[in-house]
Amino acid sequence: MNATLRRYIVFTLAAVFLLPLLLGCGSEHHFIKSTSFKGPNSIVITFAGPVDEKWATNIANFRVNEKTDPDIYLPVSNISLSPDRMTLTITLDEKLNQTSTHSLFMKGIISEGRDLGSALVNVKKFYFGYLLSILIGAMIINNFVFTKYLGLCVFFGTSKKKPTAIGMGITFTIVIVVSAMMSWFLYQFVLKPFRLDFLQIVVFIGLVSLSVQAVDTILRKVNPVLFKSFGVYLVLVIANCIIIAVPLILADNEYNAVESLMLALGAGLGFLIALFLMSSVRERLELADVPPTFRGLPIAFILGGLFALSFLGFSGMSLF
Amino acid sequence: MKARKKTNSQLFFNGILKENPIFRLALSMCPAVGISTSVMNGILLGVAVLFVQVFSSCTISAIKNYIHPRIRIPTYTLTIATWVTVIDLMLAAFVPAAYKEMGIFVKLIVAFAIITMRLETFACKNPVGPSFWDGVGMGLGFTFGMVALGLVRELLGMGTILGYDVLGFRPLLFFVLPAAGFFCVGLMMAVFNYMEIVYNRRRKAL
Amino acid sequence: MKEILRIIIGLTISCLVAAVVMGSVFAITDRAKKHNEHVKVQETMLGLLGYGKANPPPSELRFATIYRYILNENGNIRLGYMLPVFENGRETFEFMIVTPDGDFVEKLPLKIEPDAASEGPERETALKSALKRSTIFSFADSSIVALKGKDRIAYLLPSEFPGFKTFIKVMLALDARFSVIGLEIMEHEEDPGLGAEIAQPYFKNQFKGKAFDRLKELKVVKEPLPDEYKLALEGKALGKGAVSREEVDALRQKYQGKDIFAITGATISSRAVTDGVINAAKKFSYRLKALEKVIAAQQIAVAF
Repeated sequence: MNATLRRYIVFTLAAVFLLPLLLGCGSEHHFIKSTSFKGPNSIVITFAGPVDEKWATNIANFRVNEKTDPDIYLPVSNISLSPDRMTLTITLDEKLNQTSTHSLFMKGIISEGRDLGSALVNVKKFYFGYLLSILIGAMIINNFVFTKYLGLCVFFGTSKKKPTAIGMGITFTIVIVVSAMMSWFLYQFVLKPFRLDFLQIVVFIGLVSLSVQAVDTILRKVNPVLFKSFGVYLVLVIANCIIIAVPLILADNEYNAVESLMLALGAGLGFLIALFLMSSVRERLELADVPPTFRGLPIAFILGGLFALSFLGFSGMSLF
Repeated sequence: MKARKKTNSQLFFNGILKENPIFRLALSMCPAVGISTSVMNGILLGVAVLFVQVFSSCTISAIKNYIHPRIRIPTYTLTIATWVTVIDLMLAAFVPAAYKEMGIFVKLIVAFAIITMRLETFACKNPVGPSFWDGVGMGLGFTFGMVALGLVRELLGMGTILGYDVLGFRPLLFFVLPAAGFFCVGLMMAVFNYMEIVYNRRRKAL
Repeated sequence: MKEILRIIIGLTISCLVAAVVMGSVFAITDRAKKHNEHVKVQETMLGLLGYGKANPPPSELRFATIYRYILNENGNIRLGYMLPVFENGRETFEFMIVTPDGDFVEKLPLKIEPDAASEGPERETALKSALKRSTIFSFADSSIVALKGKDRIAYLLPSEFPGFKTFIKVMLALDARFSVIGLEIMEHEEDPGLGAEIAQPYFKNQFKGKAFDRLKELKVVKEPLPDEYKLALEGKALGKGAVSREEVDALRQKYQGKDIFAITGATISSRAVTDGVINAAKKFSYRLKALEKVIAAQQIAVAF
């Protein structure tokens, strides 16, 4: 049980960290190695070779704008070239809005006396960081249980004992990832193009039931040991409203497949964290002398409130 | 089947007090914590749940003889999802402002355990009439719970009831903060528990 | 075998019935929903201009909407403006393409009814038939010009920016010299009791009357909102006779030069709204000047 559990966790974590890396972002011009934001109002460009100093320090050769506003150029105040002439730092007058992608136009790049042509490149935050911020956002900052108040019935039902809590959390994570991805595909490629959005609820709940059934069957055949320990929670998964809330949120936002995966995974892991925290405290609570009127659920709710208050401290936090 | 058949009025009150979905059965807690910040929210979501519960109960009890036992649960889900879609579309069209405030919760009625439970334990075994009353009772019980919570939170948090200024000041802003929902539900459950304890003690004394 | 058949038939029938019920409800509610949304936007626009039930709008008041698109013509970024124009006394739309530097590229007539133009998908089909196949276009924003006869009385800018939690949608009203007439929060999901206070008059009315030059420099200060200013912003004491209209105006005048007072416990939301408003106003004034230059040079009979 413990070994399989550990294997699971390792697999999940490996998937989380490797997937975005596979989608590493390249640059649009062969001579430009990378672009990134630096500080509140600078952009750093790394070239593949040394560039001409005279070209590089001429402000007129550079134009920066937000991608959504191609007609409004942001005023450039200063450009500095590193001693090896490979990295260029463009400083702007005003603070950059780093959540949106910026376009950088470079006119006639000159390197070692050769004209390499103009380049239009996108400057954005590291995509991996963005994905990670979606994951951690769904997991902790916008934890579905403590800040969105979803999935409470199952949460209070299965958080009495630690093993139950972990079993439920893992089962839930698997099912939510499967069902959220299926719903995302169906929504993007069937419901949206045919303007059938109003069928969301029926379709999503159907897919959830389907994926619960699928996970049930597969687990039973592939790993009966695992099924014995987690099978009982599969029935409960469908009564958890997070599982239907995630597809609905995905439908409302314009996430792509990987971002959707991150959100679903974050929601599942967030539920696992919440269950684990709650069960640790509730196990202790059994030794405490609680007044009879508060015994059982009432005190659990008060505890949940305390957790929610402490999770309020995360709100508005932005990573990367 | 129970030995003695309950009358319609008993069914009706059963849902409101003895088996109150929020405080007694502890089902459908998410909206009770999440959006019980005002009385208006409570009433609207309550009406939505009432609508879904009554229509689903009636539908299922009307077609119960035609449902193949193997596809019982999928049929329930389909029925509930259909009625939820109907009420969701109607609220979005006719009360857009309030609908926005309730956010995702209207759509989430589809995952409410209480509705499926009533279909499984009551509507599929009883004729349309009692199912209707059972549905009304459960729906009103839910509405009652939501309104009670909303009343406490709105009055203590904003100093208003249904948007009308009652106190003229805000006693404890804490109560409209989302986290306070947990505390309110916990305290409310404790009150119900207390009432039960006192009631049982009195009965024993008699 | 027979049982499976029965199950399949049962499920098919129930799905069909469900589909009919949902489909018909959708057909009915969709029209009502669109109508209600349209009415709400209209009411907000009139409200920002100071018209309402007590003060009905004059008959010569009309709105002209400019839709802005971003085009990608084989790698060249272009701006596309969908302009309302007068043609033989009738109002239609024309699509004008300019470079980011503000140079005219081309002008295309659009086949779209003025009523249908407010619907995104309708505009899309009209644009698809007018533009080259290879051109990729995406909707950027819309701005509304309010006219009284031939005079522009206001610009109404629907705008959207990230708040503390999710997006905040607002409608900003500027007068002909880009001073703020008013601000209305259309949609937001901020926390009740904290960020949600941005929709309260004591916050959103602080923007009212700020001149464009002042607006550009506007900051958010973490100071308590003075009581007299709050009353003036809410216009509350007006009815009770404690403060007269003149006194309210005088108070508003007094605080005209002030920055925006942050909401207690919601500085981020306050800052998000302030920055969003400044950005919207700045970008619009810049674009309008560039656009007017092109329109004057091309002599387009625009309806605003």
